[in-house]
Amino acid sequence: MEIFKVKDLNFTYATAKEPALKDISFEVNAGEFVTVCGATGSGKSTLLRLLKRELAPVGDVSGRILFEGRDLQGLTARESAGKIGFVMQNPEQQIVTDKVWHELAFGLENLGVESEVIRRRVAEMASYFGIESWFEKSVTELSGGQKQLLNLASVMVMQPEVLLLDEPTAQLDPIAAADFISTVSKLNRDTGLSVVITEHRLENVIPVSDRLLALDRGEVIAFGETRETVEKISENERVLYGMPAAVRLFAGLKASGNFKVSENFNATEKLKVNGTLKETWNPKETGNPKETGNCPLDVCEGRRFIEENFKNEVKSLPKTERIRDREKALEFKEVCFRYEKDLPDAVRSMSFEVRKGEIFCMLGGNGSGKTTTLSLAAGICKAWAGEIRIFGKKLKEYKAGTLYNECVAMLPQDVQTLFIADTVKEELKEVRFEPEMLPFDFKPLTDRHPYDLSGGEQQMLGLAKAIAARPKLLLLDEPTKGLDACAKKEFASVLRSLRDSGLTILLVTHDVEFAAAVADRCALVFRGEVTSEGESHEFFAGNNFYTTAINRMTRGFYDGILRVREAEEIIRLNGCDKE
Amino acid sequence: MTALSEYNPIVIAIYFLSVAGLAMFIMNPVLLFVSFFGSLLVFYTLNRGKKDRSKGMFLLLFLLLGLLNPIFHHNGTTVLFVVNDNPITTEALAYGFTSATMVVSVIYWFRGFSTLMTSDKLLYVFGKISPKFSLMLSMALRYIPLFANKFRQIKAARKALGLYRQDNIPDTLKSNLKAFVALGGWSLENGIVTADSMEARGYGSGRRSFFSRYSFKKKDLIAVTVTLLPVLAVIGIKLSGSLDFVFYPEMSGKLLNKGALWAYACYTGLMMLPLISDAAEREKWKSLRSKI
Amino acid sequence: MVVIKNSTIRNMIKILVPFVLIPAAVAVGVFVFDDKSYAFVSLVVALLSVVLFIAGFEMRRTGTGRMALVAVLVALTVTGRFIPYIKPVVALIVITGMYLGGEAGFLVGAMAAVISNFYFGQGPWTPFQMLSWGMIGLLAGFLSKLLKKGPVPAAIYGIFSGVFFSMVMDVWTVLWYNKTFDVGMYIAAMGTAAPYTVLYAVSNVLWLLLLKKPLGSKLERITLKYRLF
Repeated sequence: MEIFKVKDLNFTYATAKEPALKDISFEVNAGEFVTVCGATGSGKSTLLRLLKRELAPVGDVSGRILFEGRDLQGLTARESAGKIGFVMQNPEQQIVTDKVWHELAFGLENLGVESEVIRRRVAEMASYFGIESWFEKSVTELSGGQKQLLNLASVMVMQPEVLLLDEPTAQLDPIAAADFISTVSKLNRDTGLSVVITEHRLENVIPVSDRLLALDRGEVIAFGETRETVEKISENERVLYGMPAAVRLFAGLKASGNFKVSENFNATEKLKVNGTLKETWNPKETGNPKETGNCPLDVCEGRRFIEENFKNEVKSLPKTERIRDREKALEFKEVCFRYEKDLPDAVRSMSFEVRKGEIFCMLGGNGSGKTTTLSLAAGICKAWAGEIRIFGKKLKEYKAGTLYNECVAMLPQDVQTLFIADTVKEELKEVRFEPEMLPFDFKPLTDRHPYDLSGGEQQMLGLAKAIAARPKLLLLDEPTKGLDACAKKEFASVLRSLRDSGLTILLVTHDVEFAAAVADRCALVFRGEVTSEGESHEFFAGNNFYTTAINRMTRGFYDGILRVREAEEIIRLNGCDKE
Repeated sequence: MTALSEYNPIVIAIYFLSVAGLAMFIMNPVLLFVSFFGSLLVFYTLNRGKKDRSKGMFLLLFLLLGLLNPIFHHNGTTVLFVVNDNPITTEALAYGFTSATMVVSVIYWFRGFSTLMTSDKLLYVFGKISPKFSLMLSMALRYIPLFANKFRQIKAARKALGLYRQDNIPDTLKSNLKAFVALGGWSLENGIVTADSMEARGYGSGRRSFFSRYSFKKKDLIAVTVTLLPVLAVIGIKLSGSLDFVFYPEMSGKLLNKGALWAYACYTGLMMLPLISDAAEREKWKSLRSKI
Repeated sequence: MVVIKNSTIRNMIKILVPFVLIPAAVAVGVFVFDDKSYAFVSLVVALLSVVLFIAGFEMRRTGTGRMALVAVLVALTVTGRFIPYIKPVVALIVITGMYLGGEAGFLVGAMAAVISNFYFGQGPWTPFQMLSWGMIGLLAGFLSKLLKKGPVPAAIYGIFSGVFFSMVMDVWTVLWYNKTFDVGMYIAAMGTAAPYTVLYAVSNVLWLLLLKKPLGSKLERITLKYRLF
């Protein structure tokens, strides 16, 4: 049965001239997991919101949306609310009430369900999601990942037929994100729940989805079984950016044209172990045998794809050494810090140095002390032991204000905390920003409201405010949170050009791929200490898990390959025919 | 003391409002004296092991309020001494301290009340009057820690760009104002997401039901009855005039008449209820354990 | 239930009940009848008028967006109580009344009182605080056109609300302590509270003037963008 059937859907926002969606047609079958992909502005959020009547944006709609064979508009308010579940991007603001138990009950209260029934369903959901132990807690006590899980549970308690998820993991750290997606996938398998999800971070989603709907500029560019569709979209660069590394590699090699996948290679076959061929493996038994299914989707498949198709006579690429300044921009010497007297140290004898004119990345899990380290360097927190030097001068010796005057600036994790005015122009005027400071054109945005900008544009605006005081050392806290692949790429190139103009950059992030793309040197922070540190290639080569997908794919076969571009290059050097 | 907190919040509310209400509106020195010690006893049993930092403040308030009346009121016949042609009388002093006793004991009853009435219990009580109001309170309570945290983040973020200075008072003010405006923008813009999330989950789709973790059980009914009986008795005795006590022009009224003694007994019993129910529960546990 | 169609009359009643009838009832109770339960009467009246208002709110359909905004403003108000020395509480209540209407103003005032007393202590004063902050917000809603005109009316309203709040609270304090209303004591209470009243009034004016434009434009944008009318 079809849960959703969308036919010739067109939509134009009330405030816009150009349509946001053009002639969209697709369907979602019961029990199916459908991923909607596309860059920012592709219309994927708009589409998802149109499927949920209560959240449908204001504007001109034409075409039809059928839910279980009925017109979406014909559903009663209760049916629409209960049967179609929706989870949004931001874990914080979706929560309505102050207690976990109340949040779980909220939807059922709205549907007028009796107390006794609510009690039972809430209890059932809490045990399924394993949130019994925080049932009576205040929502503020939960971590970001727990909050998003609570949001999911409070929708699931209404027993929806279909779950719509709008970038649900964009604000989560990689571990929480993977957990969240696996929970959704488990719900899909356990209960036959239909899922429609949009995501920027597709590494986790692609391998579990049945079908893929790719959008670009409001149009469907491909729709169908995941593996086949992935191959079809490889010409569209903007959609491709968001794809898993294996897909990007495959598409890149295909586009360069000088290779052919060996005919007996089939990505859906499991690895050969000890010479015996394991049973043919379909990610999901949808019935139809794969014919064009050659594109690898995850690290495991990608690794086999490389090993079975290509030679590895050339093991590594020639190194391109950057000649760098040896002068220190920032130096931590056995710095200790704790938030309260009775708490353990958040940063414990932390030592590292950032050299002038480099991009230095600090990686680490949640609560490892990365952000605290930045706050210490920015003079917001005060260390109780150790020494911090900025450009050779002790942090303490910077008199009030002088630290922030053409010296240090920090871009916070939530850039919205910097917004105060009603237009971009006023926002830039507050800090006396001048256009030549940043290789980014604010002119088209000048009269827009900061909160109306896309995530990437907000990040740029934040960055503009941060560098307006002409800092020599820029500190960035988790700058890629919530950004899509295109925005990340642009942000990376802006950072590189800032570095080339002499700025020193220290950034902390969860985002290994981004770190690998921009960093000159990296460090891993664990429990308030730097545990390893080094030049990017060496650093990641030394890690087994904390490294890029492409590195995990090529590990042992090639050496020191971090980026898709590098993998393509070394494969080309090796030649492609392997019999 | 946990026994009382196990009852339905309505029971707790009725109990505290009754004891405080009786104290507030019956100006009888003996009754207020009892109430005063009762309120302290209940408050300190509820907060056993915790430090009461504000007790000095309340002692000061007590003395101040006690001495305030004779300064303003000079009626009364028994003159103690004269200041600037204004007689200070025993009656006025007695009235002052009786009032002070009342005020301080009411404050302590409410402090005890606040210890037991956690926010979700109070929301439950409000929900009985207006579910919508209660929901909005709950939303606001959910926002407050979020905003407080965001406010800190905003200040830190602005500080790290040199936009937040605290060198002098005008600077501090201006910086706080700007940060607060930024918080206003942030919270209003993001508040809309909450509205979306509410509608997506069917808010406004029809009549709501009201779910709470508390239900009104038989033991709650018994507790309300046991609370209200002495309250009604005291009110009845008060209306009969047995509790009347006049301060001016001279103190008159029998404090220890038969009716009044009954009222004191009822009120004392009422105050001891939480302690009694607690002790009863403890005994029950003990006997249960000994049977194992 | 009688539904009054004419919105002007409805608004008049809305304003009359809390502002005229109830204070009148209290005044009558205090000055005319020689009874000694004014404190009780006034407490009941305060409680009832708050309950009445809330009950009226319960009956009406309120847009979800507006509800969320009011909750946001309550939380902002309470968060503002933790700014040292000068507090934007009343300014926020007034701004809510101006831009979201009297009802929203009343609700923000009343709820801010309940919630901030979670931190500063509940007591029999809570209903009075709810009522007086609520009324400041309600009246701001009715005067919104005037208040939006310029800094002078806003400043005057800021002073008025500071004094009004102190006056109402001192009436209660005197009644509570003294049982009957006593002019001498009332003046003395106002006198001792004078430094605070001045501080209130000053911070009200200051915050109102400073917050009115930036916060007002943000509220206007939100109500326009999401059509919260």
